[in-house]
Amino acid sequence: MSAISIQSVSKRFPNGFEALKGVDTEIRSGSFTVVLGPSGAGKSTLLRLMNGLETPTTGSVRIDGETVDGLKVRHIRSRVAMVFQQFNLVDRLSVVTNVLTGRLAHRSWVGSVFYLFRQEDLGIAREALSRVGLTDKAWNRADKLSGGQQQRVGIARALAQRPKVILADEPVASLDPVASEEIMALLREICDRDGITVVVNLHQVELARRFADRIIGMNSGKIVFDGSPEQMTQPVLRTIYQREGIEDDNSLDMALAYA
Amino acid sequence: MNVHDLKSARPQPLPPKPRNPMPVWVAATLAMLWLIVWDLEISFETLAYGVADMAEYFSRYGQPDFTDLSRYLSLMGVTLATALWGTVFALLVAFFLAPLAARNFAPNAVTYRIAREILNFMRAMPDLLLALIFVAALGLGPLPGALALGVHTAGFLGKFFAESLERVDKGVCEGVASTGANFPQMVMYAGWPSIMREALGYVLYILDRNVRMASVLGLVGAGGIGLALHDTLRLFDYGQSAALILVILATILMIDYASAWLRGRLG
Repeated sequence: MSAISIQSVSKRFPNGFEALKGVDTEIRSGSFTVVLGPSGAGKSTLLRLMNGLETPTTGSVRIDGETVDGLKVRHIRSRVAMVFQQFNLVDRLSVVTNVLTGRLAHRSWVGSVFYLFRQEDLGIAREALSRVGLTDKAWNRADKLSGGQQQRVGIARALAQRPKVILADEPVASLDPVASEEIMALLREICDRDGITVVVNLHQVELARRFADRIIGMNSGKIVFDGSPEQMTQPVLRTIYQREGIEDDNSLDMALAYA
Repeated sequence: MNVHDLKSARPQPLPPKPRNPMPVWVAATLAMLWLIVWDLEISFETLAYGVADMAEYFSRYGQPDFTDLSRYLSLMGVTLATALWGTVFALLVAFFLAPLAARNFAPNAVTYRIAREILNFMRAMPDLLLALIFVAALGLGPLPGALALGVHTAGFLGKFFAESLERVDKGVCEGVASTGANFPQMVMYAGWPSIMREALGYVLYILDRNVRMASVLGLVGAGGIGLALHDTLRLFDYGQSAALILVILATILMIDYASAWLRGRLG
C-alpha cells in the first residue's frame, strides 16, 4: 500500500519559477526513499508539498488516501513529521520542550499554551530522547548543543509526533561526515524498526546508495530516474546532475567520478 | 558558462557600477532642514544671547531643600506605582494583540489589519490627552494616570513586539508548524520564546519611559510627584523644586541600572 501518492503535481512560485513540472509517483508504506538532484531541481518543494508547507499549483498530494489541503493540513501534519537542514529548533527552549512540541497537534491549546503536558506525553518525549541518545541533555537549551545533537533533537521531535511518515529535507547538509553517518543510520533504523515511511533529500550520492531502498532522481522539476540503488549507474547519475545547456560538462565528470 | 573560462589569462572588466542615490538624498534632506529653519524663523542669535539668562535661572536651583524628603519619597512611590500599573496594562494588551499584528503569525489578513489599526490608534493618542480625559471621567488620582499610560504604551509595546515576531526565523516557525501546531501554540512555542530577550528590553524601556511620563502626568491631576512639582514651581519655591527634581532623577537612574542588571542576567 502506498503511504504517499503524488498525482501530476506542478508548482509555480509567485516569482514565476516553476519548481515542479508534472510529477507523478507513489511511495510505498514503510519504505526508505532518497531523492537526489542538483540544487533547484525541486527536491525541497516536493518534500514540502507532502507536509503542506507548500500547496501544489495543479495536481494533488495524498497521504494515506487523504488529500493535503487547507482545512485538513494540521491534521495531516500531525502524522507527517519533518526534519530540516537547519534543524529548526526553538533555540531558547530546552531539549525536552522542543521534543514535546511534537505532541502539540495531539492536544488542545488550553494546557499546552502554559507548557503543561500530560504524563503520557512526557513519557513519549522521554522515549524519543532515549532513542536518539540524548537523555542526559534533556534540560539543556537547544542552541547549546552541537549540530549533530541538534539534528537528533529534530528527529526526536519528529518521533514524538508518532508519525506515519518522516520527511527529511537535506538533514545532513550542515553536518560533518561522522554526524551525517549517525543521522542517516538513525533514520534507517527508525524506518526498519517502527515501519515509518522515510523520505530523505540528499546531496551525497554515496549515502543514498548505502541507505536507500529506492532512489528518485530529479532534474529541473521532473523525475528523471526512479529505481533501486543498484540501477543507479554512472550514465544515470549524469542524467540526474545534467546542467541545462551544457553539452560537455567537465565539472560534472569530475564530481561524479568518485561518487 | 563553463568553470574553465574563469582561468583565462586576461581578467574580464567588471560590469558597470550601479548608481548610488545617496548624495541626492543627503542634499535633499539638508535643503529641507534649511527650509524649515527659514520658514519657522528659528533664530540662533536669540539662543546665543539667552545663555547668560539661562545660567542665572538655573542658579536659583542651587540649594535643594530636602526638609520634606519623606513626603517626596512617598509621592515618588505613588508615581512609580502608576508607571508600573500602566506598564503591566500595556504588557497585557500587547501580549494578546502583537501576534495578531505580526504578518507571519496572524491567522488572516483581516485580523492583521484590525490589530495593526488598533495599535496605531492607541499609539496616536497622546498620554497627556488621555490622562485629561480619564481624570475628567474617573476623578483625580493615580488610576487615570495608570490607564492613560497603559493605553498609550500598549500601542508602542504591541508594535515593538509585532515587529520582533515578524523577525522570528522562518525555519523555526516552520519547525513548529510542521508538527501541526495551531495559532495559539505557534505563538507560545515559536513566537514568544524566540523574542524573549528583545521583549524584556522593550518592556524595561517602556517602564523607564512611563516613570518619566508619570512624573509629568501629575501636572494634569493624575497624582504623584508631578503634582507636587507643579505646586512648588507655581510658588517659585526653587529649593523644594530642586529637591523634587533630584528625587525623580535618582529614581530614573536607579531604574536604568536595575534594568541593565536584569538584561544581563537574562543573557
